[in-house]
Amino acid sequence: MDIAAAYILGKLIGAGLAMIGAIGAGAGIGIVASGAVQAMGRNPDATGTVQTNMILGIAFAEAVAIYCLVVALLILFAIPMPA
Amino acid sequence: MTEKPKQKVWGRWVVLAAILVGIYLFYVAKIPYIMPGVFLPAEKVFEIAGFPITNTLIALFFVDLIVLALAFGVKRAIASGKNILTGFSGAIEALVDMLYSMTEGTAGKWAKAIFPWFVTIMLLVLVANWMEMIPGIETVGLIEPAPAGEHGEFTTTQIGPFTGIMKPLSEEGELVKFVPYVRVVSTDLNFTLAIALVVVVMIQVYGIRSQGLAYFSKFWNTGTMFTKPIFGVIDFGVGLLEIVSEFSKVLSFAFRLFGNIFAGSVLLFVIGSLVPVFAQSIFYLLEFFVGAIQAFVFGLLATTFMAQATQGHGGEHHEEAHA
Repeated sequence: MDIAAAYILGKLIGAGLAMIGAIGAGAGIGIVASGAVQAMGRNPDATGTVQTNMILGIAFAEAVAIYCLVVALLILFAIPMPA
Repeated sequence: MTEKPKQKVWGRWVVLAAILVGIYLFYVAKIPYIMPGVFLPAEKVFEIAGFPITNTLIALFFVDLIVLALAFGVKRAIASGKNILTGFSGAIEALVDMLYSMTEGTAGKWAKAIFPWFVTIMLLVLVANWMEMIPGIETVGLIEPAPAGEHGEFTTTQIGPFTGIMKPLSEEGELVKFVPYVRVVSTDLNFTLAIALVVVVMIQVYGIRSQGLAYFSKFWNTGTMFTKPIFGVIDFGVGLLEIVSEFSKVLSFAFRLFGNIFAGSVLLFVIGSLVPVFAQSIFYLLEFFVGAIQAFVFGLLATTFMAQATQGHGGEHHEEAHA
């Protein structure tokens, strides 16, 4: 295998592996939303507060997935081809 | 009352006709459609006196124009002396009203100082994100010959009077590079990083304004070092971690917006190249939602962090309670 092919192969596999971290954020967002919906169901008057805090919680959980995306993008676009 | 439903039915036929035209163009007339390449940095369209004008900068110019037009529109509606704002300015009033009560809930007496940051950031980011929905943005642009060693991925094709780009079907033909005139500004990391830096600096400014130099005890916490030996050291370590968390705020602010909108526009292109007719519309709806949520989250997080900075840190209150 020549070096160019190995470079592309490694880059693609690496980016794919980096995005595995998005699983955690997905599960986290699911847990946050489930808790918020339960809270809203039990106490509909608090919907406004719960919704705001839910969005905040989702944003923090999502940040982890964003870091994965950044790593994947860096692997894809920022590593120069070896000469 | 019987007139109104008829207009809706008329709109439905337009959508159906557009779908049929799409099906005809792509499956019967076989006009080639493309999957554009993904470019991370913004591309230079032209330059003024050596200063490169990128396509995201042009988009930012339009965003500023739209936000200014909103502001002057609302100002004129208020100056007209009507008690109740109607139409678009009424909608803006309702939005601002809702956001202000939300800011009051988190920031308390600092709401008046923090509120302008919240709404400025939110409106700017919201308009920037929703620009993604406008047809022609990111698809109309310059076709440049690809310089050697850069990604030239397309060949040109003639569609009526227009020159289109497509993936090369055969080996022949010159490879070109495609540079859109306008590209959504949130897909440029410089834009999101700039707002993130402004926000994080302003968080420190509000912290110092509300607590004075005591604000820095959050980062360099030696107050309990000698009174409570073990927990004092832990408090000191926590303070150092707070410094790290300020820097990670910049990162997560910048990359959250950038990642979401960049991934969204790539998603739109991928869907458009897989199923060229109608399927993209569904994802436009998703992107509409994501754009609004991201703008809201950016503003809300800025508000929350600023409010936290004004409130001082919990340790001091505990001490007062014990003493």
